[in-house]
Amino acid sequence: MEKRYAKQIMDQDNVATCVADVKKGQVVYIKQGGTEKEYTAANDIDFGHKIAVKDIAAGDYVLKYGEPIGKATKDIKTGEWVHTHNVADHYEVH
Amino acid sequence: MDFYGFPRPDGQYGARNFVAIIPSTGCVNAVAQQIEKMVAGTKAFTHHQGCLHPPQDTERVTRTLINLGKNPNVAAVLVVGLGCEMVDMDEVVEGIKESKKPVEAVQVHKLGGSLEAIYEGSKLAAKMVYEASKLRREKAGLDKLMFCTKCGSSDTTSGLSSNLVVGEVCRLMTNAGGTFVQGEVCDIMGGEYALKELCVNPEDGDKIVEYVKDLYNRGLAVGADVRGSQMTAGNVAGGLTTLIEKAMGANAKGQKVPIQGTIDYGNRPNCWGGRHIVSTPGHGFENLTGGAAAGSQLILFTTGRGAPNGHPCIPAVKICGNSKTNKNLAMHIDVDVASVIEETETVAKAGERLFEYAVNVASGTLTKAEVLRYDSAMEILINGPVM
Repeated sequence: MEKRYAKQIMDQDNVATCVADVKKGQVVYIKQGGTEKEYTAANDIDFGHKIAVKDIAAGDYVLKYGEPIGKATKDIKTGEWVHTHNVADHYEVH
Repeated sequence: MDFYGFPRPDGQYGARNFVAIIPSTGCVNAVAQQIEKMVAGTKAFTHHQGCLHPPQDTERVTRTLINLGKNPNVAAVLVVGLGCEMVDMDEVVEGIKESKKPVEAVQVHKLGGSLEAIYEGSKLAAKMVYEASKLRREKAGLDKLMFCTKCGSSDTTSGLSSNLVVGEVCRLMTNAGGTFVQGEVCDIMGGEYALKELCVNPEDGDKIVEYVKDLYNRGLAVGADVRGSQMTAGNVAGGLTTLIEKAMGANAKGQKVPIQGTIDYGNRPNCWGGRHIVSTPGHGFENLTGGAAAGSQLILFTTGRGAPNGHPCIPAVKICGNSKTNKNLAMHIDVDVASVIEETETVAKAGERLFEYAVNVASGTLTKAEVLRYDSAMEILINGPVM
């Protein structure tokens, strides 16, 4: 079976982006700082969608590109799908 | 790695060496296009502006035309005018002459018709092309390079590969003393506060926030929440969760390289070297013109699903991280960076590879858009209203 990967952009990110469709329970390989780590997908996660690589508490920032991209609206566990159902945009035009 | 460019009297170096035919108004596009057909080695910069503008737009169109004429890829210029347009043809001529390159002009009303203007204009253009053909490329430092950048027809791969690779080129070339220009205010929206943090001068940070606010307000004035349109149903289905995430993916084209200045549309940077943010829209025709007016020799154009357009003034290097697009639309893609998605190549290595490729394009390697002649469409950004 082909290995399923997710891409983590920066070391300080708490999410990675899947570059293949992933089924619940499958192992996802993510390169972090040069070494390949294994995570288990807690949900079905499609190509282009994000998987949590750390636990993210409700109210904490989701970090991608080393920057906060949104706030978790629920507690998110490692391996879970991260998207509009558990993340809110915190952007405002001031 | 060396850059070989055509030396210009003002000290710049061109990646290309053509005679630009610049209409002062869209009304004489037909004349410009016919001269381009008659005379090899010319490029017509057709656009649809030049008249029935409020004064700010007349001023901006004039300034943009002058700076297009001053672009280092342009060896000499033939300005074509009608005679009744708001943009003053003589002002355009005098402005470009500051660069000390040869400038000629023909005007339809004065000469007595379009055919006369095509005839006289072709004679002048032919002479300038012949003289320009005597120029030879010279070795120039990498600090003589200015690249602009854009992402078009983006998809998930853009924020995971191609934009990151361009960001690495931004770092490499600004370290070598070159200039990197990044725009697309609609894509900055959501990421303007992150860019503000990178500004060396706080006023530039405020400027960037203003560019975004201005776009947002202009959208509101016509009843549109442009933030909403920036996050499409397709984006969300494809995995983008927030506007900020999308903007970070776009901002990645400059990494965390400090920002030295901001450039209003149609202008050149106020200092040489480093990363600059220019107020261009995402819309390609006006965006690439803004990059060319700033003085770029070429554009690093990332794409996900495949955007084929180039620009008459500057070659467009198309970079793609989507392996399907790289295969299906190979005739439009110059640099394949799918290896970054597949993790068979690091962003750093792909960045070195793209930088070397771009310097070779600046030194003469043709882009797919140039070879396919997919590079004639362009436009100049106006605020309106159109009267």
